[in-house]
Amino acid sequence: MTSPSQKATWWVIASLFVAMAPQLVTMPIPLLIMTLLPLMWRIGAEIRGWKPLPALVRHGATVLALLTLYFSYGSIAGRRAAISLLTVMLALKLIESYRIRDARLILSFSLFLCTTQFMFHQGILMPFYGVITIIMVLVTLTQLHRNEAFFKLDATPLVRVSLFSELGFSLRLLILAIPVGLAFFLFFPRWVTPLWGIPEAMLDAKSGLSDSMSPGSIQNLFMDDSPAFRVMFDGRIPRPSDLYWRGPVFWDFNGQTWRGGFYGKSLGVASQPDENEAQWKYTVQLEPNERHWLFSLDYPATRPRHSRITIDFQILRRQPVTQLLQYSMVSDPVFVDSPELGVTLQNSALDLPVDSNPRTRKLIEGWKHEGLDGQAMVRRVLTYFNTEEFRYSLDSPLLGRHPVDEFLFDTRLGYCEHYASAFAVMMRMADIPSRIVTGYQGGWYNEVGQYLLVRQSDAHAWSEVWFPDQGWTRVDPTAAVSPSRIARGSLGALSAPRHLLDYTWLRSFRNGGDIVQQRWNDWVIKFSADGQARMFSSFGLERLTPSMLVATLFVVIGLFSFLLLPFILRVKGPDKKDPLRVVWLKFLKRLKTAGFETLPSSGPIELAHSAAIQLPGDSRSIHHIATLYSRSRYSGTPPPLRQLKDAIKGFHPKKNTD
Amino acid sequence: MSTAALMSRRKGINQRFNLWILERVRQKRGSPELPFNLEYRHIYVMPTMFGFWFGILLALTAIGGLNFNNNMVLMLGFLLASIAQLTSLLAYRNLFGMTLLGFRATPVFAGQAARFTVLLKNPEERLRFAIQLVSRESSDCMDIKQQSTGRLELELMTTRRGWIEMEPFRIENRYPLGLFRAWSVIIPKARCLVYPAPVPHPPPLPKTGRGDFGTARKGEGEHLHGLREYQQGDPLGRIAWRTSARQQILYSKIMETPCEEACELNWYLLWGLRTEEKLSILTAWILRAEHQQIPYSLEMPAVALPTGLGEDHREACLEILALFEK
Repeated sequence: MTSPSQKATWWVIASLFVAMAPQLVTMPIPLLIMTLLPLMWRIGAEIRGWKPLPALVRHGATVLALLTLYFSYGSIAGRRAAISLLTVMLALKLIESYRIRDARLILSFSLFLCTTQFMFHQGILMPFYGVITIIMVLVTLTQLHRNEAFFKLDATPLVRVSLFSELGFSLRLLILAIPVGLAFFLFFPRWVTPLWGIPEAMLDAKSGLSDSMSPGSIQNLFMDDSPAFRVMFDGRIPRPSDLYWRGPVFWDFNGQTWRGGFYGKSLGVASQPDENEAQWKYTVQLEPNERHWLFSLDYPATRPRHSRITIDFQILRRQPVTQLLQYSMVSDPVFVDSPELGVTLQNSALDLPVDSNPRTRKLIEGWKHEGLDGQAMVRRVLTYFNTEEFRYSLDSPLLGRHPVDEFLFDTRLGYCEHYASAFAVMMRMADIPSRIVTGYQGGWYNEVGQYLLVRQSDAHAWSEVWFPDQGWTRVDPTAAVSPSRIARGSLGALSAPRHLLDYTWLRSFRNGGDIVQQRWNDWVIKFSADGQARMFSSFGLERLTPSMLVATLFVVIGLFSFLLLPFILRVKGPDKKDPLRVVWLKFLKRLKTAGFETLPSSGPIELAHSAAIQLPGDSRSIHHIATLYSRSRYSGTPPPLRQLKDAIKGFHPKKNTD
Repeated sequence: MSTAALMSRRKGINQRFNLWILERVRQKRGSPELPFNLEYRHIYVMPTMFGFWFGILLALTAIGGLNFNNNMVLMLGFLLASIAQLTSLLAYRNLFGMTLLGFRATPVFAGQAARFTVLLKNPEERLRFAIQLVSRESSDCMDIKQQSTGRLELELMTTRRGWIEMEPFRIENRYPLGLFRAWSVIIPKARCLVYPAPVPHPPPLPKTGRGDFGTARKGEGEHLHGLREYQQGDPLGRIAWRTSARQQILYSKIMETPCEEACELNWYLLWGLRTEEKLSILTAWILRAEHQQIPYSLEMPAVALPTGLGEDHREACLEILALFEK
């Protein structure tokens, strides 16, 4: 059996490792260990010359890995789990791969593994990951090819190919392949609608806001600096205090966790603002989060495609967002949401678990006895937050059975969700319908790119209360505690850095650098059947059928090939760096036309002798040129090249007629 | 279907395909005129098994990318497809322009492998990587440098004496990634002489003749052959004392016995045996006589060679035996 050389084996291991790296980062620790162990074993086996493992051990390891996988993910239905399965299997394949065929299998799957990672991330760094993987696989494949070709020979191949030239070759191959690859990318017919979708059960890379809120859920997002979405405004940009990006809305509270109410999700919106009166026009580029919510400012006047707007103004997309999604929105901030509210809805906005938070209830009862109600109650509660010793902090302690009680009277330390939740509960105790809205607040305006960048760390929670005729009104209790949260953004509100590398300058560098990612999204990630059509329509071509696209593709590839093929298939002429040789070859050509066949083995003087015999008429000049050439070539003090050039220029041998 | 069955079936398909190509070449082109320049119409390019597998994987990637309109997946897939397509050109280019200069084969004994040397010239200023020759039974591989000639060897097992024709072979390569195979089929006009196989234990040489000449046997005897530096174990009586004294180094004398023996290898001596057995014995005798440096003559039914010794004589005798009654 043909086996790869040790050098090639190293490269196989390295390529596989690079390809699986992004997946490794996401793996649960036990599974990570199960993946790295076979890799380590193989490295040890290469260094120490260990014998292949017996079949029983190998099968045992496979079973163990499968069990670890199952227990780490709970199921193997998710995409991450499925790709982890592939990764583990490839790592395990390493311990029994001693043939070129196996090595090639691992390499081709490494490339496949690399493509699967693009389902999760399409950031600006991912192309580098792709290119590095491709280059490594190409280098390994060239080595394997040579191993395969020379496997029968004991002697080493005549030509030793250095790593440098292998890398250079792979890079050249990649670069030469770009034009045709690009043509395919631009002109290959895209599918307008997908043939199949990802089943909901397979979505396991959900990020961002979730469909419930319990203490700590938004706090976790605060640590996440990845972009949630970007917004391009058309016209006026709202003030920071107006930038409330509405997301999931919660009605039901069980004492610990807020959830979206039945009515909120199932009822459609009754009336929307008038599109023509709306103030804010903008386009949102939503990063894939595998959830259904689309974010907008209050209150959306239009409805993005494939989505519906619920009665509490959540925009729900039919399919979860698995791709970068761009939608245009128009919002009107002065709209009155539900001036009248049905009894059922009112009741669900007042519902509280019985016997919970008795101290808070007492406080509210006391205020009620003072005659406070409606707007006055709202103001009283906000003043309470503002004047008492409440602090805005990430390090909130865990809360027990009566979380609002404990928060209000004991800890007094919390993040926006604590305040929003406590406020909503207090409102309900005061018989004011209230609900929780989660979403994002603020954002970072990129002056160069002229877009607003909203990160996951901008996640926020606030409350809404309902009064007759005024409708649902936004009340943000966090603003009462920490006004800077709203004015300066989530990161400005806290003085302590979140982690080791959390410097202000680094943050602003990252925010500014995001423009590269935004452009990448704009030009590459967003490209689709739509973009294809738009590209052609900018050339005045409307409605291209797939067959026309394919035809264009072939024309473009043909054009590229026409330009590229002569370069690829060129026959190298004489070495241009050696002018002496160029001149000498000219001389030989003249001899040839005169009927003298040169042998490649003869030197200049020897050649001159036989040529002089065959072409006696020119014997003197032939000898002269040959002597000049050998002197130029071999003597320590060569005559100027000019002399030889002139001699050959004037050399026109007469054809031998004998 | 088991893997083994699948493999053998694949092999069957491969073989049939190769035979089909060979038949086409035989009809269209026949044996090439040497020197033979590999040109556009002589070179075939096809994906290898690995190439097919790679293509399937790429197709799956592209379908996934198209379905989810994942541009990065598509970009990577298209780029890889473009690279793969490019390597088919490179495989072709690695063969294009090579010149087949000729074949050479030295005679062998039946049962040995005939070795055909194929001279392949690279007339251009670029390196040819891993050029392979593949025949039914053997293969060889070599890098051929700029403007140089490579000698590659193909072996062919022999069973019978006489001429053996070189089998058709392929000049091929899978440069650079092993995704594509570019090849050209050559039906060579070359043959190798196969001597009869010598019997392992022949009867003793028939030392019947008298040698008129021959190379002396070194070692023992009365006649001085020459001097050499003293080596441990040389008898004292052999030391050339006078020379040694002059040169300050010990020298020993080497003696020799002039050859007087000779043998007549006669076809008719071996009566009662079958033809092939007779030929094998005669072959073994020739080898032994050469080895012992005893001059020998050969007499066959239609032809006879006088007493002689040495490479030329041996080859002449063996050729007569190889082509006897053929």
